[in-house]
Amino acid sequence: MDFRFDIVTDYMPFFLKGMGITIGVSLAGVLIGLILGLLIALGKMSSNKWIQLPFNIYINIFRGTPLLVQLLIIHFGIVPLFMSPSNPLVSLVIGLSLNSAAYIAEIFRAGIQSIDKGQMEAARSLGMTRVQAMKLVILPQAVKRVIPPLGNEFIVLLKESSLGSVLAAPELMYWGRAAAGEYIRVWEPYITVALIYLVLTLSLTYLMNYVERRMSTDDQR
Amino acid sequence: MISVKNLKKSFGENEVLKDISMDVDPQEVVVVIGPSGSGKSTFIRCLNMLETINGGHVVIDGKDLTDKKTNINDVRTNVGMVFQHFNLFPHKTILDNITLAPINVRGINKKEAEQKALALLAKVGLSEKASAYPDSLSGGQKQRVAIARALAMEPKVMLFDEPTSALDPEMVGEVLEVMKQLAKDGMTMIVVTHEMGFAREVGDRVIFMDNGFIVEQNEPKALFDDPQHERTKAFLSKVL
Ligand SMILES: Nc1ncnc2c1ncn2[C@@H]1O[C@H](COP(=O)(O)OP(=O)(O)O)[C@@H](O)[C@H]1O
Ligand SMILES: [Mg+2]
Repeated sequence: MDFRFDIVTDYMPFFLKGMGITIGVSLAGVLIGLILGLLIALGKMSSNKWIQLPFNIYINIFRGTPLLVQLLIIHFGIVPLFMSPSNPLVSLVIGLSLNSAAYIAEIFRAGIQSIDKGQMEAARSLGMTRVQAMKLVILPQAVKRVIPPLGNEFIVLLKESSLGSVLAAPELMYWGRAAAGEYIRVWEPYITVALIYLVLTLSLTYLMNYVERRMSTDDQR
Repeated sequence: MISVKNLKKSFGENEVLKDISMDVDPQEVVVVIGPSGSGKSTFIRCLNMLETINGGHVVIDGKDLTDKKTNINDVRTNVGMVFQHFNLFPHKTILDNITLAPINVRGINKKEAEQKALALLAKVGLSEKASAYPDSLSGGQKQRVAIARALAMEPKVMLFDEPTSALDPEMVGEVLEVMKQLAKDGMTMIVVTHEMGFAREVGDRVIFMDNGFIVEQNEPKALFDDPQHERTKAFLSKVL
């Protein structure tokens, strides 16, 4: 098999641009997902069953159906209601945000519920409201426990953003498929794209390990 | 100061407090004793609404906790609580543990709160630990910080739920000493404990609880030396 490096070099500017977009949409997805996810987690932990219900339904729908299906419905069904023609990048960011929000909500809930219930009781016994106790006592402790699973979620999201290629969102995978179509070649574009994803996810893994190490030394104070 | 009338509390089908009535006068130290599972913790947790009350009334400093109009957070600022397992905030320094509620609940400025916290730390003998984190303290030290933390809100009543039960024996004394001093200073206290020596020495009154009822209450000497009920006798013969 001869490997045509000229395809790789020809397409490199597009791959790099696509990589930038992949990073951008994943970051946007995870950041919006963090905010929504925290709200959903707090809603799901409400003591009122009727308040819990919509949050439960949300989490079940977004975790129980394929992201690809969600993206297609959002891009071809929902975004066109507000925007025409619908922008695939907008649809991709919305899809990734809503999807990651469901997973992040469960990460937050597990993190918050892993904090000993004596902490909430001590805070409340000092006269703090539920919101104050959450903000001052529970969440600061939960944050340390949710950072590793949040890092994993970010890595998953980065890979899943490749589904954006189906919507023709010009992220990394889109350019891989474009190159494959133009040259009718499989190995050069897809191996290159795979390597770029690998570099991104491995860098993230290293970053996460570094953050975790830093935090565990903080703990020993 | 505290008036409890026909207090009832159930967990599902399990009726844990069956019909509790009692009063506590200002500056009185009431010690609650009784076998494990008799409802002692549930009882004092009802006094600051850490448990929801199913029946009866609890009136603290003129405010009825079962009245929907009562702001429970306000009541709690007047009722300090010390837990068996300390429940210090591990992500905060000792000083921040003590100032957190005064600053955020009472709205006292930071400087003033810290000065008061340092004075309280001196009182419990832990001045040098102000900038330490809870994990570096012994159990006895943690419990003394927990007492200082509760006192920082300037409560009118202090509740203690087995404050020395999780401690190694050699640390029990230092915590009881702080509590004795508190009683001497005139604090109104309700103390659940198995420390009969403390009950005898510091208590104004001892309440014996069993199976969700107050079986008997009296001055410590009378209750310990001349119990009236069979169940009290049986319990005391085991613990004394
Ligand atoms: N949160 C709870 N849920 C269900 N049952 C409980 C709960 N807390 C206490 N109980 C039950 O209430 C009873 C009294 O418990 P407790 O007040 O802790 O007794 P004590 O402090 O005297 O040992 C026990 O039977 C216990 O199992
Ligand atoms: Mg108990």
